[in-house]
Amino acid sequence: MLRVMLVDNHLERTAPLKQTLSEAGYEVIAHLTDTANLDDAVRKLQPDVVIIDTDSPSRDTLEHICVMSANTPKPILMCTHDGNTDKIREATKAGVSAYIVGGLTNERLKPIMDAAIARFDEFKALRHELNEVNSKLADRKVIEKAKGLLMKQRGIDEDEAYRLLRNMAMNQNIRLATLAEQVVQAAKLLL
Amino acid sequence: MSVDQKKPGVTTAEASIDSGRRNFFRASAAGVMGASALLGIVPEQIRNSAWAAGTDAPEITEVKIGFIPLTDCAPIVVAAEMGFDKKYGIKIIPSKEASWAGVRDKVVNGELHAAHVLYGLMYGVQMGIGGQQKDMAVLMALNNNGQGITLSSQLKEKGVTSGATLKRLLDNENRDYTFAQTFPTGTHAMWLYYWLATYGIHPFQDVKTIVVPPPQMVANMRIGNMDGFCVGEPWNARAIFDKVGFSVATSQDIWTDHPEKVLGTTAEFIAKNPNTALAMTKAILEACRYIDATANRSKVAKLISGKAYVNAPEEVIEGRFLGHYDNGIGKKWEDPNYMKFFNDGKVNFPYLSDGMWFLTQHKRWGLLKSDPDYLGVAQKINQIKLYTEAASQLGISVPKDPMRSSKLIDGAVWDGKDPKAYAASFKIKA
Repeated sequence: MLRVMLVDNHLERTAPLKQTLSEAGYEVIAHLTDTANLDDAVRKLQPDVVIIDTDSPSRDTLEHICVMSANTPKPILMCTHDGNTDKIREATKAGVSAYIVGGLTNERLKPIMDAAIARFDEFKALRHELNEVNSKLADRKVIEKAKGLLMKQRGIDEDEAYRLLRNMAMNQNIRLATLAEQVVQAAKLLL
Repeated sequence: MSVDQKKPGVTTAEASIDSGRRNFFRASAAGVMGASALLGIVPEQIRNSAWAAGTDAPEITEVKIGFIPLTDCAPIVVAAEMGFDKKYGIKIIPSKEASWAGVRDKVVNGELHAAHVLYGLMYGVQMGIGGQQKDMAVLMALNNNGQGITLSSQLKEKGVTSGATLKRLLDNENRDYTFAQTFPTGTHAMWLYYWLATYGIHPFQDVKTIVVPPPQMVANMRIGNMDGFCVGEPWNARAIFDKVGFSVATSQDIWTDHPEKVLGTTAEFIAKNPNTALAMTKAILEACRYIDATANRSKVAKLISGKAYVNAPEEVIEGRFLGHYDNGIGKKWEDPNYMKFFNDGKVNFPYLSDGMWFLTQHKRWGLLKSDPDYLGVAQKINQIKLYTEAASQLGISVPKDPMRSSKLIDGAVWDGKDPKAYAASFKIKA
């Protein structure tokens, strides 16, 4: 059963939503109105989904939790009172998992929650991939630089420079990119 | 003079060419009369200048600019309330926002055209920290200085009056101390972390850090939710006024004339609306110049104190706004480095080194996993060319060097020359 946390400073506004969620089989583990407790609550209760009002000041707190604990970000659903479809589409593009407009009925709830979670997972996977590609690219750059330095300093060709780097990295049991970075730093100091 | 009431033609042309051509173009743009028909009846010379000027008419005339209730939102409010916007053919609609995340989302999705926004937040979005990446644009800086760090009265009772005494307390007491700032990538987070680290306190290991929106800081401290916070004025002054805390440091102590809020939008917005972006920059730049004149400050304090804007007592805003500082535990002084909005244009120039500094701190605290292309990112975000155009048109001098050199509270010098080494140079880091 999915565990949902509701955050809204207008209790009466979210009360019907809470009921709908329970009826649809979600477990509402907390309903928070206070910004300061949000931090502790998210860490302790580890909700699967957070539902929060778009205009809630508590959003900054939630943002902080997600940024600072990269391993536990949760899908976030926004409640909005603005039904403009273009805006919602844009907002969803901007990274918000899903926007809920106005009241939620039982039959709409599950598809929306499912879509939000699917979107979130997809986003996380893409992000992970992007990070990996970026770091590979950065590695390549520094390795090229180190190779160039070796070629120039020792008057050897590219293959030979690469072989030297690779052997040394293997002997020292460190990553090729780490060694390359050390070579570049050393060159800065010594040359 | 209003276009609609004036018959176009030679009379307009013979009036001042400068105001004439602006109105002239607006007349045709607004469809009051067919542009070609107008062109047919004015003398050649005027027609040419009108045509040239036509290209600078704002693409959007109603500009929605978001702000958070803080003293430094003044340039947006003043530009709108005192008519600096109309002077440049636009109408600024200030929009009060509840959270920085909300400001970010609304700027990114175009619901807001621009915003009064934390310098660091703009760079965070550009780098995709905590959300979707989007290319951003800093049109100008809005202010320097005028933020601060407040500690609770309870800490004072335990003998804490400075960074050093805070460190001593933390070393000797075995309980969690909580400090609040306003947004993970924002300026207050960076001032707080920098200040704590200067005194040997690790902001993540030695204390707990939370985020609380600016207008809620004082109320949260009162009920004991935190021991200290970093926020913009008037909320530090308010804590003293309400007797819940005292000022242990001002942000100008940490970095004199530090960059703070900016006028921010997306790269997409300025590509589509270059003239609106220019008009908006000019209107707000002129508002900044107006606010910085000592004679105008009281009036501005009164204006922004209203419920629609900062919503705090006028006297709480006015004191520090005029440079009268009182730390709440017996020290009173006139601060020459109080919140500045203009300082002969030095405040507003989007120095590349200012933008890069936030990247170095994002790297330092692990928000960025690897070194970005510091200079390249800053050159992309900070719209030096557009700012220079706006400033020159207002006769405001523009610094020659896009880098500036500053010495911070810990003695370290930041000049933008070697950002990677600077970012790696701090002993206390993530």
